[in-house]
Amino acid sequence: MNTDHHESFQHMIDESLAGGISAEREQSLREHLDTCAPCQEYRSASNRVIAGLGGFSFEVDPTLNARVLVSLRLPAQQVQAAQPGRRRWALISLAAVLLTMGGSFVDLKFGSLIAAVFDIQRMQVRQGLLAFWIVPSLFVLLLFPLLPLLSKAGTRREEGTL
Amino acid sequence: MESNTQQIALGLRQGDVVVLEALVEQYQYRLVRYLVYLLGRRDGVDDLVQETWLRVLERGGSYDGHSRFEPWLFRVARNIALDAIRKRPMFSLDSNEDDGVRPSPASNEPSPFTLAARTEDAVRLARSLQTLEPVYREVLVLRFQEDLSLQEISIVVGAPVSTVASRIYRGLATLRPQFKGETA
Repeated sequence: MNTDHHESFQHMIDESLAGGISAEREQSLREHLDTCAPCQEYRSASNRVIAGLGGFSFEVDPTLNARVLVSLRLPAQQVQAAQPGRRRWALISLAAVLLTMGGSFVDLKFGSLIAAVFDIQRMQVRQGLLAFWIVPSLFVLLLFPLLPLLSKAGTRREEGTL
Repeated sequence: MESNTQQIALGLRQGDVVVLEALVEQYQYRLVRYLVYLLGRRDGVDDLVQETWLRVLERGGSYDGHSRFEPWLFRVARNIALDAIRKRPMFSLDSNEDDGVRPSPASNEPSPFTLAARTEDAVRLARSLQTLEPVYREVLVLRFQEDLSLQEISIVVGAPVSTVASRIYRGLATLRPQFKGETA
């Protein structure tokens, strides 16, 4: 058997160890290895190198984890503070819903009473409630769910520049 | 249900301390090992590990959780190490392959590999590993210790898959003579 022949199989062994080869080539390699002592030795030495790489155990300072975590605490808080937070958005949206409903409720139940107390027309009370209560609440309700999306888009733009 | 990598991505975006603690716990040793293989020295590695985690938190938003966390983490660590090499001459490392990584200077102190060798085969490999160029050591640890695929290693080192494969073959070829003429 010539050297080139061994070399091609030894290259196949390298390929097999580095990233895998097709089943067909693996079969051909196996058949060759059954009868070729130099290539068997090549594969055996390669396997021992790989196994040997697993025989190192590097000392790690037992305080390293704690030191790392301490150094991460403050930046992590800053990242958290920069987050809009889903919970906050949910609470603001809920408050806006309640305010909108509250405005409508006041108009329906107490509109006439308010008109009588202030000696104004019922329609004027309704317009006042709409302008200063219901519409601002609706505006907040519609606008705030969009803010987290706007904030996320801003963050992505910043990351894109890194 | 969210996959583990997506939970990591979300945790990093939110600066979730619980997620960070779990990551540090899980990857600390592997990070130290990777950096020792890359730099060929143990001193200074702890500082780089610390800087790596800070960068992980800083740039956490760029990890999308669609691929494994390890290649992204090692890529960050590699960039930190290369930055340190540029800033601090003590880490001066470049190789013939001109990618910014050069063998560590010779020293009278025992190499980190000699100190870390726990098996007879590891002892035999230690000296060759110390003199092996970092770019070859790096791919060997990523392939055979971290079990990264060639594509993943290519992402970490920023080189084509074919170059990564060649480095693995060359790394193995340099270490193989230690066991030549012996059967396992």
